[in-house]
Amino acid sequence: MANGESPCRAGSRAAMKAVRTTCPFCLNGCESIVTAGYQYRMEYPTDAVVNRGRLCPRGNSASIVVDHPRRLAYPLLDGKEVGWDQAMAYCREALVGSEPSEIAVVYSRGLAHEEIGSVCGFASALGTSNLVCGYVEPDNCFQVRLAGVRAATLDDVRKAKTTLLVGDVFSTSPVAAGPITEARYADRKNRMVVIDSVKTRQAGFAHLFLQVKPGTEVFCLLGIAGSLDRSLGVDVARCAVAAGVEERQLSDVAQMLANGPGFVGSAMHLGRVAHPVQHSLMSQLVATESGATFNGFGEARVPFGKLSFSEFRGRVRAGGVRAVFWFGGLYPYSYPGVMPEAAKVRFSAVSSIFRPDVPLPGLVLPAASELEKESVGESYWGEVGRHPVAEPPSGARPVPAILAELAQARTEEAPSAPTLSEPEAVQVTLATLEGAGPGPAEFTLVGEKRAIGIGGFYESEEQVSVSPADSAQLGLSGTDDLLVESTAGSARFHVKSTAAVPPGVLAVGVNAHRNRALFPLADDPVSGIAMPPAAARVTKVPAAERSPAENIARAE
Amino acid sequence: MAKRLTVRLDLCIGCRACAAACRSRFKNEARIRYAELNETVDVPMPCRHCADALCAAACPFEVIKRDEQGGVVRQATFHCVGCRSCALACPFGVIDTNLLRDATQKCSLCNDRPEGPRCATTCPTGALQFIEEEKLAEKRSGVGFVVRSLHGRRQ
Repeated sequence: MANGESPCRAGSRAAMKAVRTTCPFCLNGCESIVTAGYQYRMEYPTDAVVNRGRLCPRGNSASIVVDHPRRLAYPLLDGKEVGWDQAMAYCREALVGSEPSEIAVVYSRGLAHEEIGSVCGFASALGTSNLVCGYVEPDNCFQVRLAGVRAATLDDVRKAKTTLLVGDVFSTSPVAAGPITEARYADRKNRMVVIDSVKTRQAGFAHLFLQVKPGTEVFCLLGIAGSLDRSLGVDVARCAVAAGVEERQLSDVAQMLANGPGFVGSAMHLGRVAHPVQHSLMSQLVATESGATFNGFGEARVPFGKLSFSEFRGRVRAGGVRAVFWFGGLYPYSYPGVMPEAAKVRFSAVSSIFRPDVPLPGLVLPAASELEKESVGESYWGEVGRHPVAEPPSGARPVPAILAELAQARTEEAPSAPTLSEPEAVQVTLATLEGAGPGPAEFTLVGEKRAIGIGGFYESEEQVSVSPADSAQLGLSGTDDLLVESTAGSARFHVKSTAAVPPGVLAVGVNAHRNRALFPLADDPVSGIAMPPAAARVTKVPAAERSPAENIARAE
Repeated sequence: MAKRLTVRLDLCIGCRACAAACRSRFKNEARIRYAELNETVDVPMPCRHCADALCAAACPFEVIKRDEQGGVVRQATFHCVGCRSCALACPFGVIDTNLLRDATQKCSLCNDRPEGPRCATTCPTGALQFIEEEKLAEKRSGVGFVVRSLHGRRQ
């Protein structure tokens, strides 16, 4: 197949031209022009309000989803291609063979708002209350709001005197880094503060960088809120000890934020955030206490379900759920820990994914991707419209049509996220502080977001970042490998010695499934499942112990 | 008017959007490269289009030539034999030696596109800029120079 052209789309190319649409990757709402020609290509409209013609590496590679050679074009049943009749028969059999209470309906990202509405309608038509949100990335928790928080506009970000960033905002939404750096350099007196457990590139821009212990950003934020408002009754000194920073630094940040119009930006990553809901609430608390505006930088916002993901997993494990209908991004595939549970039930999924390299148990049906349908999407700065740049694969059917075939068509509102008051939010976090304490582990494994683009990762996912002190202690040289073992699994990595991580911390990229498998899944009552920093042991694998083939591959 | 590609190190966040944009145009063969200075600082390495281009001098078949009017060093890829002399001669190491199509990869400042090079247009923070030579003189910088910011360099 020339130029990796997908078989399902050959011949439909001539009718296509340049389409102006919105990038589907994160919530920044960058406008881009997708041109169809010899291959799909991104162009950069300089009159776009949000991104001014700029796009991040993920946005640049957005179009490869459309004509990827491994794009799913036919229904797959237990890894084998089948026809639609057989596929729908499998779904009907699952419906007939189970009681309504034994059926779970899951929706995830990749669906338009109306489609989520039809999925909710499908669940109530079936009479099941097992409606679950399958998008369990921690950043979904930015939907949990604190009463009285002010949402930031692009102007607020550009004109902020003090910017406080929690987590790696620049990696989550690189285009949003434009207005943030603009504010940082606009005036000599402007200040930028970064709170993170890893010294990312973003930290290089900061006037003050607070390197907290892995997973303790919330305590650092609680301490700042406590210094801003003594009436909250927060023990700032204790928060500083829990986060591993100085008490004086917390009051310094509080003072900076109190100086003028501020902006608080917060981001969350897999394997880096221990308490996602608290992380969201505490970032918002600092913003409300200092009068700053707030924005949570995340990849997507999918409404929370009636049943949390961890309750859903519990019911699957206990045998209470026998059939699962999954719509949108396939998270059993993304979280290796959930795969064995998917094998237990009659699993039917509708997704716009590529053909998985690991055969998924059950049925997978092809669907239109975000670039192939007309929809209204959400962004940090308001609503955005998406327009189809290509036709969906010929074997795909729209989600509402599939639902109408299985049950009567109906549309319903998705459940909304909770809003908490300030004392409630502080209580929630203080409860976590009670149980916080350093684990007995030798090393703490944290997740990192690494640069990804066309043709794969720019920064290798097979590399683990180790501090120079640990590297010297373990006697590692540049050619040695490191075997990292956590309670969930083990993997071998090349070693990168860098001062970006503090001693006792190992950082791995979490885009690759093999790396995600190292983090044990923790049940979280609100967000579903969380992936907090994990305890790990390491063993040195000298170059001499590797097979000759491995050494040759390494040298290349 | 001739334009130049400049890099402002203070604004680069190391996201590699420039490389992604270049790859999307040139079928996965980026003509822009990347250098990691330390943990927090990366530098995109575009072709400098040198006044006295060593790649052009090294080319045995005169495939790489300097276009004096536009100030761009162009490569006629069709005639390239893939001897890699230019890649060895380049003092900045920005010419890719990946011989996927039996030719070296040389930046042409996206001459197929009126708006300018894709790397500069896509840069999320405006670290890579495509500006007129006159404005360059105002900023007292040249092609490939890193402009020292008014507010000091980041560490």
